[in-house]
Amino acid sequence: MLTFRKILFNLMAWSIVLAVAFPLFWMLVTSVKPGFELFRRPPTILPETWTFEHYWKLLSETNFLIYFRNSIILSSATTLVVVAVATLGAFSLVRFKYRGRESLAFLVLFTYLLPSVVLIIPLYLLLVGLGVSNTIFSLVIAYTTFALPYALWLLRSFMAGIPEDLESAALCDGATRMGAFRDVILPQLLPGIISTALFTFILSWNEYLYALVLVNSDSSRPLTTGVMNMLISSFNIEWSLLMAASVMMSVPLIIVFAFLQSYLTRGFGAGGVKG
Amino acid sequence: MAEVVFSKVQKKFGAFTAVHGLDLSIAEGEFVSLLGPSGCGKTTTLRMLAGLEFPSSGDIQIGDRVVNDLAPGQRDIAMVFQSYALYPHLTVGDNIGYPLKKRGVGKAERLAAVAKTAELLQLTELLKRKPRQLSGGQQQRVALGRALVRDPQVFLLDEPLSNLDAKLRGYMRVELVELHRRLGRTMVYVTHDQLEAMTMSDRIAVMEGGKLQQFAPPAQVYAEPANRFVASFIGTPGMTLIDGDLSQTGGVWTFNAPGLSMPVGPLTDEATAGPACLGVRPEHVSIGTGPVQGVIQVVEKTGHENIVIIGLEGGHRLTGRVPAPQSWSIGESVQLTLEAEHAHIFGAGPHGARLNRPHETAPLKTKHNPDKTKPKLQKAANE
Repeated sequence: MLTFRKILFNLMAWSIVLAVAFPLFWMLVTSVKPGFELFRRPPTILPETWTFEHYWKLLSETNFLIYFRNSIILSSATTLVVVAVATLGAFSLVRFKYRGRESLAFLVLFTYLLPSVVLIIPLYLLLVGLGVSNTIFSLVIAYTTFALPYALWLLRSFMAGIPEDLESAALCDGATRMGAFRDVILPQLLPGIISTALFTFILSWNEYLYALVLVNSDSSRPLTTGVMNMLISSFNIEWSLLMAASVMMSVPLIIVFAFLQSYLTRGFGAGGVKG
Repeated sequence: MAEVVFSKVQKKFGAFTAVHGLDLSIAEGEFVSLLGPSGCGKTTTLRMLAGLEFPSSGDIQIGDRVVNDLAPGQRDIAMVFQSYALYPHLTVGDNIGYPLKKRGVGKAERLAAVAKTAELLQLTELLKRKPRQLSGGQQQRVALGRALVRDPQVFLLDEPLSNLDAKLRGYMRVELVELHRRLGRTMVYVTHDQLEAMTMSDRIAVMEGGKLQQFAPPAQVYAEPANRFVASFIGTPGMTLIDGDLSQTGGVWTFNAPGLSMPVGPLTDEATAGPACLGVRPEHVSIGTGPVQGVIQVVEKTGHENIVIIGLEGGHRLTGRVPAPQSWSIGESVQLTLEAEHAHIFGAGPHGARLNRPHETAPLKTKHNPDKTKPKLQKAANE
């Protein structure tokens, strides 16, 4: 009876894993199949001939590298801005007592509840007014608007877990406010900062809607809209190239995940039980 | 070294007043405890002295400087926190050295000072460890070390022993008194534990409801509590307090309560006939003979003595303390004497002032000791 339950449990777990992993596998396999093998029936699970021509074509003949560079700049800049502002903001929300502190925190969260579609038009007009439309910078601003509230709340719960006495002790030991923040708060907050940075990076890396509406020149398109624009038209989808691009788009996230996944899971549990 | 003076210090948090017009003057090199129940304003007072809270009004002086507007780092104080507040990411050595680092002391000098402090506190073996690898007692010593490594004018200690187990707490009490004697620095110690306050302090500031109730040496706080609150707060087991009436005939005051009538003696000019409260310490109740009739209700055996709770005729309960061999069975009727010369009379109300005329000398100080450990420690402190 016990073994039966165990087998059933394993069966279910593995079927879920397969369901999640198969598209990734298929993406990888498709990207290294020659074009003529793609639509063969019955399909080949492993390619009969391996080829990297799609990768080569993407890197040498298309704007892929420009989009890739744009995405890296865009996501890094957004992460940097969001984490810097959210860390100081969370510090303020947790440590300083002022009128309307709680309402402020909820107001910030409230902006997160509005659908992006509602915000896009005003944001677009605002960015045009500022004279920064159609640049990577405009996307950094746009992404900050949706990433910051979330980051602020995440860091706030991390910050609340740091005992106030630590900071008081640093002040008594002769540190200034900023000194205590740097010497004592930041090292304690590091896991929180890393997981917040990860979330922000992933959000910006995968963002599609804002990039589609706010930017329409190849020099500032990120990967998401760039690849879409380049390979998908009304008449044709370049499946091989699309899969190769998808593989390369996933690589940075996979690397980041592999090294920092423990921080990420800690981020999910923030505000719960202290580790 | 420096004296510490609070002048009319008030602290408000919104509509709530945590400290009401506090006047307190702590002498140079003195060990003073701020004692009181939780929420009495003692920690707020200490935090104001540290510069972690700012007074709403009034002045705080350390040495000859008014420090109201100074940041904690500029006040030349060191504080030990109840939670120890050790920096988790730094080693023990770096924790102790941090105050020196923040004051720009060079590395070689810093390491020498840390080594010296570590030796004093027997932490030398642990300097490379992180705080989480230490036991509670060791963490406590590191927290002390971080305060001691500099030579501040005033040490502030916020319930530093409350997270230790009873045995270690007793040990650390003696250590702290020893340390104070050696350093001769002003120390302000916050505690809710009267035993700590009684055994360690030169003077105790008893606080309640944000107000200073009494500021006096431990023996005096015990023997001549300024008001009913202090009387009830100090002493284990507590003083028996009986509500009744005061009357005067021919210059002699008599206290009357149901089942109890006794002469009390010399009272101040503030004493008036009417509602009052009689206070008797357990050691001033003798069981065996006497005019008062009572029934034994509870006998608590603590080993070297027995605590006896006696019901009086009027429904009041009286606590007595007798050496261990003497004991009574529950329900037994006994005759009692309340020692009139040691009876306290307080005005009506929870904060009724003590109405006994102060003793010219302090006879009670030598007659009995509030705590057996005190004379030994005080002797050590005077050496």
